[in-house]
Amino acid sequence: MPDAPLVSLVDIARSRGASYADARAVEREQESVNVKDGNVESIDRSADRGVGVRVIHKGAWGFAATDRTDEASLRGALDDAFARAAAAASVAARDVRLAPVAAQRGEYRTRVERDPFAVPMSERIDLLRAAAEALRGENARTWRAGASAYRTRKRLVTSEGTDVSQEIVDTAAGLSVLAVKAGAKPVLRADMRRARQAGWEFVESYDLLAVARRYREDAEGTLDAPYGEARPTDVVLDQSFLALLVHESCGHPTEADRVLEHEVAFAGTTFMWPRDRGSLRYGSEHVSITADATLDGGLGTFGWDDDGVPAMRTPLIARGTFVGYLTSRETAAALGIPVAIGSARAEGWQHFPIVRMVNVSLDPGDATFEELVSGIDDGLLLESPGSYSLDEKRQNFHFTAQVARRVRRGRVEERVRGVGFQSLTPDFWGRCDRVADDWELHGFLSCAKGEPLQLMRVGHGAAHARFRALPLEIQA
Amino acid sequence: MTVRGPDALLAPLRAVLEGAPADEVELWAHRRVAAVTRYTRNAVHQNARSDETHVTARAVVGRAVGVATTNATDGAGLRALVADAAALARLQPPNEEWPGVAGPATYAAAHAFDEATASLDAAQQARAIARITARAEARGMRAAGTHHLELREDAVVTSRGAEAYAPLTLAYVRALVQSETGAGYADDLGARAGALDPDGVASRAIAKAELDRDRRQLEPGDHEAVFEELAVAEILRVLSLHGVGGQAVREGRSFMTGRIGERVTGRLFTLHDDALDARQLAIPFDVEGTPKRRVALLEDGIARGPVHDRTSAKAMGASSSGHAADRDRYPVGGLAANLVMRGGDASDEDLVRAVRRGVLITRFHYTNVPDPKSATMTGTSRDGTFLIEDGRIVAALANVRFTMSALDLFAGIELLGRQRLVRDWWSTNGMGEIVCLAPPMKVARATITGSSPL
Repeated sequence: MPDAPLVSLVDIARSRGASYADARAVEREQESVNVKDGNVESIDRSADRGVGVRVIHKGAWGFAATDRTDEASLRGALDDAFARAAAAASVAARDVRLAPVAAQRGEYRTRVERDPFAVPMSERIDLLRAAAEALRGENARTWRAGASAYRTRKRLVTSEGTDVSQEIVDTAAGLSVLAVKAGAKPVLRADMRRARQAGWEFVESYDLLAVARRYREDAEGTLDAPYGEARPTDVVLDQSFLALLVHESCGHPTEADRVLEHEVAFAGTTFMWPRDRGSLRYGSEHVSITADATLDGGLGTFGWDDDGVPAMRTPLIARGTFVGYLTSRETAAALGIPVAIGSARAEGWQHFPIVRMVNVSLDPGDATFEELVSGIDDGLLLESPGSYSLDEKRQNFHFTAQVARRVRRGRVEERVRGVGFQSLTPDFWGRCDRVADDWELHGFLSCAKGEPLQLMRVGHGAAHARFRALPLEIQA
Repeated sequence: MTVRGPDALLAPLRAVLEGAPADEVELWAHRRVAAVTRYTRNAVHQNARSDETHVTARAVVGRAVGVATTNATDGAGLRALVADAAALARLQPPNEEWPGVAGPATYAAAHAFDEATASLDAAQQARAIARITARAEARGMRAAGTHHLELREDAVVTSRGAEAYAPLTLAYVRALVQSETGAGYADDLGARAGALDPDGVASRAIAKAELDRDRRQLEPGDHEAVFEELAVAEILRVLSLHGVGGQAVREGRSFMTGRIGERVTGRLFTLHDDALDARQLAIPFDVEGTPKRRVALLEDGIARGPVHDRTSAKAMGASSSGHAADRDRYPVGGLAANLVMRGGDASDEDLVRAVRRGVLITRFHYTNVPDPKSATMTGTSRDGTFLIEDGRIVAALANVRFTMSALDLFAGIELLGRQRLVRDWWSTNGMGEIVCLAPPMKVARATITGSSPL
């Protein structure tokens, strides 16, 4: 597929009057193994390939994609792209402009030590069966372990001279256990966010069985736990919890297309407007958040985005102040930002690139986890998000915790259940008074945005952090 | 969008069954042509068309099941696909829960297909949007939204003789209209693009936007409420995903577990899943090739039972009701995706008039389920939240956060309006595929737990 005649397709588009054109060929492979209740539940393999063609014609975008790669089908897709651009231009002239980028040439490949597709199936199944067995407690109703491998090969050719090829490999493992007991509400302990741009060595790099045993203890221990108390409470949140909070309450509202109301009818807008850059108090001075598409192992790491902009690192929140956006070439130009930071991404060949997160992370602090906890006299340690819901501006949010443990006089003690909180984004991050140094990287496999829907893999790093007097809610 | 038709989709599937290296084979072909025109600030900003066909094979070797998917749909690609699925099956131990592939059946005719919709072009989509933007501009407002046309063709064959094909068209237009002070939203959904009413959508959204000024904040607590159809669909989604699937009931995650035959909510609440309702958007069979059946989920507040796919049916001693879903998107165990909630004949004005003091909610954004067992949903309202006093709308409200069990909410139904074809926020955006015939309703009590800033 990367051999599809992309250069000639783009040349034809220019000769037909497109002020800009690009063609993107993508091949994707995925393999997933899932073990449920001790049995292999499924082994799935999928693959697809196709070509997407994008033009700016009469000042408007047109895009068409096809899974047929013969010349007639590709020409047909180009015709469709022109027809759609002309139709778009007929409603109102927008005159799409793009922030400049120098022509790019080259290749990017994930550094893989052990190809996850080449790991013998029996080895994967044995590991997952052992992990699933370790999840199984006295009250376990279902227990699951799974692993997935993803490979994406793509080539982008633009009418401005860019011609880049990439091969990206992602590997993920997940665990979940549902505990059910008469007289108690069921407890789900799950984490499907152990994913990395890497080979199978990522799965081998941590003790999956130890994690499974901890999840079993959490599920069983939470079933009979007393409910927490709805009152302002000092809390420490773990890395996986904060990774999602960064994603939802910082990553999304700094997407530039939300500022331009491209997503207003679906994903929503933002509370972080251009006039607020450099002045809006997003959080306390302990909160710095960075977008970084160069991060080793991140699901949002690449050589170039789908505009052909090279990967880079950009601050979004600097010591509590909002300073930057995630931008594509189009949205950077529309906002008067001279350089796009390389956030245009498309899920597959059939999708129009839109502004997506790359790796958006809470910068680490200098405290140890023990120092964070020792500063709490009567509070909670919250681990892993459960339910989460946000308003369309990413300002009002509600999260619940899968696991909550009391912290008394600096010591982590017994579990409580039903803990959640509702907050406003600046209020929540404003309560942060310390960030630990135990930063770790997480990967989300399915961030949803766009129409038709696009599911994107993105990365988020975080360390434990402490928040003072957070008002809690209890779901009894 | 050219319809390929039954011969083009079924013949290659049939051909690959011959000599397949497996004990059983099931092939599901799914074609989707989507033409999506998005607009904002009264101009089109994205305009995309895609045409893709994927085939998923399940191959069974000695009760072990391998699954593979491809979009290489020529003969060689499909033969490789089945061989791949069979090879994956051979790597596995037997699956004792495997129910076997479906056998031959009689299928209802496809009712949600319109040839004219399948042949609409980009210029016609743009013209529909221009009617909306012109109305918004005339009021000094800006409109955003989507015009979405889709052609789907599904085909299933199995080695036991099931063979099914059906097309479907989906036409959808929505408008979010913003003024300097607020926003209003409306949409229209159906199988026929010609039946969409962009002018009506624009008028309804503009009317809401005009009311949305000088917002107040509603104090948290229990309030009387009017939920419009889109808001009701959001609550029905919670029941679909967490309450009425066979696997959820089996695993004890559902409110129905151990309570089938009992009253679980109010007498005015009745819910079926009915893909065969002529007003629904549905293919008349599922991805396993089982004909879809009408299933009574709750009647007069009494839990009647879940929907099943072949796996949950076998496990629970039932028969499949034709509710197997795309396994890429939904877990095994049955999905109720064509919900029909009993309505009434109250007008929109009747519903508002019935409220002494309460809130009107147009729709929700990004809802979730903090307590699946009790079907408790939380989410914030958007694009039309209003305070009602003494039977009339008296003020706009900042978006509110609603957190409550669906069963408790439906227990308080006092009045029901006429059903409309709608989708919840997630399904509208492709993150789900649940379609509801849902009425607006007036309820005695909705729990508001917070408010967004003004």
